[in-house]
Amino acid sequence: MFLIALVIFLLAAFGIGWVLANYLPINIGIATLIVGLVLGYMGQRSRFCTISGLRDFYLVRDTYRLKGLIGIVVGGIIGFNVVKWISGASELPGVPDFPMLAEGLKVEPMVLLPISIVGAFGMAFFSVMAEGCPFRQHVMAGEGYLSGMLYLLGLVVGIIFFDIVIIPYLQLLTLIG
Amino acid sequence: MKIKLGKLEFDLKKSLGLIPNMALLTGIAMGVLAAIAQGFFNVQPPVGDGVCAVSHPANLVNWLSNTVFNTEFTIHGIFVGIPVLTPIGFIVGATIAALKNKELRFRKGPVRDNIFAFILGFIIINFGLLWGSCPIRTAILSSYGMVFAMIILASIVLGVIVSCEYIKWKVRRM
Repeated sequence: MFLIALVIFLLAAFGIGWVLANYLPINIGIATLIVGLVLGYMGQRSRFCTISGLRDFYLVRDTYRLKGLIGIVVGGIIGFNVVKWISGASELPGVPDFPMLAEGLKVEPMVLLPISIVGAFGMAFFSVMAEGCPFRQHVMAGEGYLSGMLYLLGLVVGIIFFDIVIIPYLQLLTLIG
Repeated sequence: MKIKLGKLEFDLKKSLGLIPNMALLTGIAMGVLAAIAQGFFNVQPPVGDGVCAVSHPANLVNWLSNTVFNTEFTIHGIFVGIPVLTPIGFIVGATIAALKNKELRFRKGPVRDNIFAFILGFIIINFGLLWGSCPIRTAILSSYGMVFAMIILASIVLGVIVSCEYIKWKVRRM
């Protein structure tokens, strides 16, 4: 029965997306707002969280939230190929061939690889302590959790800090790298 | 959603298997909607930028700062003219869901210390911006077969494992 529900959902998503894109003058701002609203709603109902999914599986072998992370991969493969098939590859400038495995490890400059690995490791390490990934914190703030709201406040201050302090160092590093 | 047919009453969500698989469905929706945003509404380049809880808030904050304070912070090319509103959608969507299901109320979160919650947000966004994406976009890029994203996803898994071990070690010491 779940598969039937999934097929109906996919048909509705692609159908509505295609109709909106072709018959209504929707810009990027409205499109991203709609995507955010749908995912925010579903995220609240499902308690979806990427980091908690991995944590729950590692600590207590609970797979409920881990299925969400697997779902992203499945949805990404389905979505990428169906959208490309509907639109026709020539209408999607800048979209690479699927799968991108053939491109190999394309990182320019190479110094970005260790920086990114450290960044992802740190994000995951501290997200376990924050009891959720950045998406989950947005949802928790929307549900009325004070810690989620303060997390988002820290996030905004952190973005400004990154722009002013970290980016100049990164530019220097990439020049050297 | 409950449906009543005479004396028969059944839960549509339960019968469709949605309750035990809601997280899975949300994950699939993320992957699909990211592709739809990318392919139908041109939310690209960069690739796979349809959904992100790290780069989108950064783009929105930088756009606001550039517009209000005339700063010159970096924004993805596609979001220079029109701001990205995914983070606002996440919050409003969650509020609507919580309101509809009578779960909306002001309360303390899982992180009890307010200052620690603020600091975590500050630290996590700085680490996240070093890579430039949240775990969701990392998984989306991995699903497209990007080797770089797969390495980063492995790094995220390692980060979670190390953090769990650290917490376990700390609990044992108490």
